[in-house]
Amino acid sequence: MIKRLTSLAQACSWLAVVTTLGLVLLLLGFLGLRGFDALNPALFFGKTPAWAAITARLPVWHGIWPACVGTVTLVLLASLLAIPLGLASGIYLASYAPGPWKRWFALAVELLAAIPSIVMGLFGFALILFLKKTLAPQANTCLLLSAGCLALLVLPYLILMTQTTLEALPSELRLTGLSLGFTPWQNLVHILLPAGGRGILSGVILAVGRAAEDTAVILLTGVVANAGLPSGILGKYEALPFHIFYLAAEARSDAELAQGFGAALVLLLLTAALFLGAYYLQNTLAKAWKQKDLLI
Amino acid sequence: MLSRKKAALVLILMLTVILGTVPPLWAQDPLAPFKTLEGKIDIAGGTAHIPVMTEAAEQIMKANPKIRITVAGGGSGVGVQKVGSGLVDIGNTGRALTPAEVSKYGLKTFPFAIDGVAVALNPQNPVSALTSQQVRDIFAGKIKNWKEVGGADAPIHLFTRDEASGTRETFWKKLLKKGPIDAKANIVASNGAMKMALAQDSRAIGYLGIGFVDQKVKAIKLDGAEPTQENAKSGAYQVTRLLFMNTKGDPQPLLLAFINYIKGPRGAKIIQKHGFIPIQK
Amino acid sequence: MVISCASVLAILGFLAYFALPIFAGGHLGEIFSWEWRPFQGQCGILPMAVGSFLLAVTAMGLAYPLGLGICGFAHGLGPRWLRRPLLGLIHFLTSIPTVIYGFVSVIFLVPLVRGIFPESTGYSWLTAALTLSLMVLPTIVLLIQAQLQQVDGRVRLASAALGFSPAQTFLWVLGPQASRGLWAAAVLGFSRALGDTIIALMVAGNAPQVPHSLLDSIRTLTAHIALVVATDSTSQAYQSIFASGLILFMVTTAINLTLRRLQSGTRPAASHD
Repeated sequence: MIKRLTSLAQACSWLAVVTTLGLVLLLLGFLGLRGFDALNPALFFGKTPAWAAITARLPVWHGIWPACVGTVTLVLLASLLAIPLGLASGIYLASYAPGPWKRWFALAVELLAAIPSIVMGLFGFALILFLKKTLAPQANTCLLLSAGCLALLVLPYLILMTQTTLEALPSELRLTGLSLGFTPWQNLVHILLPAGGRGILSGVILAVGRAAEDTAVILLTGVVANAGLPSGILGKYEALPFHIFYLAAEARSDAELAQGFGAALVLLLLTAALFLGAYYLQNTLAKAWKQKDLLI
Repeated sequence: MLSRKKAALVLILMLTVILGTVPPLWAQDPLAPFKTLEGKIDIAGGTAHIPVMTEAAEQIMKANPKIRITVAGGGSGVGVQKVGSGLVDIGNTGRALTPAEVSKYGLKTFPFAIDGVAVALNPQNPVSALTSQQVRDIFAGKIKNWKEVGGADAPIHLFTRDEASGTRETFWKKLLKKGPIDAKANIVASNGAMKMALAQDSRAIGYLGIGFVDQKVKAIKLDGAEPTQENAKSGAYQVTRLLFMNTKGDPQPLLLAFINYIKGPRGAKIIQKHGFIPIQK
Repeated sequence: MVISCASVLAILGFLAYFALPIFAGGHLGEIFSWEWRPFQGQCGILPMAVGSFLLAVTAMGLAYPLGLGICGFAHGLGPRWLRRPLLGLIHFLTSIPTVIYGFVSVIFLVPLVRGIFPESTGYSWLTAALTLSLMVLPTIVLLIQAQLQQVDGRVRLASAALGFSPAQTFLWVLGPQASRGLWAAAVLGFSRALGDTIIALMVAGNAPQVPHSLLDSIRTLTAHIALVVATDSTSQAYQSIFASGLILFMVTTAINLTLRRLQSGTRPAASHD
């Protein structure tokens, strides 16, 4: 009886794994095959010569280059806003003395993590409407607003990753510094951060990947289908995820659809590269402390 | 020997050809007004406008890289709301502004093209003509199968647009006579998306600007009238609207230059190329 | 720190501020009704709320058994050497952008569903649920996995000493022990499915109705926000999106608070990828 149940469960688990693998292979294979054909200079630059496009001397039409640049700018800006805050908060939560405030902070972080990205976008949009009515009539949806909202979106991941990494370090390590007479701050800077650096860095990279892929936030906060290279942080811009979203519904020709596949593959390669970087860092960290599965 | 008359005719012909191909010095380059301008124009709203707007933007930005023009969609309602609240510089609509909208936001409106709204199907669908009443019944959900209107025995897939759409408003007012649209209908967000949906689904019915009709979708005869831009212009096809650009207050120099470009001869070519009928100034 | 607190409050504040006219104006009953016909002044968002709920539940219904199976596979039901590559792959799945799931679904799955079920346009509850389930799968697996990992360390030796095979250990020791993690994964997976916008917007068809079958077109609250966000800013339709946002916010908050109680004692794993 028990034997039979066991083998039944085994069969089910095999089925689940095979189904999942099949679906994933289908997804990636389909995208890879169709996208690979589209990968060529024309995908990025249209008819503009590549070098002139990269150096921004000539505008690009019918290519995804402006969307790529838009995404990279957006992500850099969001990281710039989110990373210092995220690390500082994570360190605070992990190392300083527990107080009544800490519980509330932790709760706020969790609530922030739970907010759907479209609601974050709606918040950004409402913020602009509010600013227009009150302080700044010139306020408009733009790159900066999107970056700000994205920063809020990834902030909780950064905080949690920093906190978990620091807390996962062996407690001997924590105590060693302190027992040698380090102040908590010295202990943090000279021992804990270097030890947990890779884990924190991988958290940062994952957050960057999350910012790069989000579509719902930017949908409401300033992305447009045709803008050229971003003109400044107060201007509208193009972005890869939105471009893919747009082409999925509105490809006017087969060529545009092929561009959609190309863009999707480029975005996937970007997020996959970020992910693999983070994964590598996490694994080496785990090995370093001989706690192989701790961070998986 | 050539007669004098013939010689004169040849001369005139040659002159016309030369004048026609080489732009005469005294005729102004349509892009000239942009040479001294710089700044940005954000455009949003009506989705039928997008092909015309992006091509004009491309020409202008190529001529003067200091000008930046961004184009977004959203629908006519979006156009009104965004230009009204100052989120964009030009808000496009595929319908006339209501007096309330004009007075509330202080909008100026610039019609530039005529467009019809065609009822369209997938090219594989054997049906190629419907009466207005049939269309009303189909969209109300009373007629559910293609065989009831002379097609194959297959369920009808309804596609409609969101409430911000001027195309929907034109269709709803002029063809459906404000009749109901079945809540089951799938909703797509633009003319482009409507075209793609119809092109993929052999049982689909939807509606879109005639400018978007090509071999990928089949525009059907409505009460016997062929939905072409010529018929839209002559009045033989009645479900028509104008395409507008709207600005908040009088347009700034750059905006005015853009509007004049669209309404000028070069703009007319672009408008025609994308299947609409330009309105001459 | 202050920023996270402040932004949570600010988000709540703004949503409430913009949704306020509904409550103040006595339009509450109109927003919470079953008809969405803004031209006739009916702006009910209940069909969208139902749509969100149904979609999230079905996506979870599809993904959860798969996730459970995969975790079982990794913890004794499958060969041990496959465990690391499998979990690595699942980890990798978290990095696939949502819009890519949507894109492939539009091009591949929608025509497939339309081909199999002639009465459906392919843009349907079913299509969205299938796509969404693949998207939430890694979240579920990783959450269950994290819990199993904790328990595994404690009980593995003991159960091996009792003569259980790895498969039996999973079924009769690990699984029951990790039940809190199983609940947490279900709840958080649900919350993640509920919060998705892009997949629903791209493949669910967006018809504002309560679906009668899996093949019907549905609209979620999230997609509703994206669709209606830019209509006339004083209309009731416009206020309805802030009401939608508020509902989403409150539901996810409630889920998190419940979870906190559920998990009190154990550290909550990263809730989203």
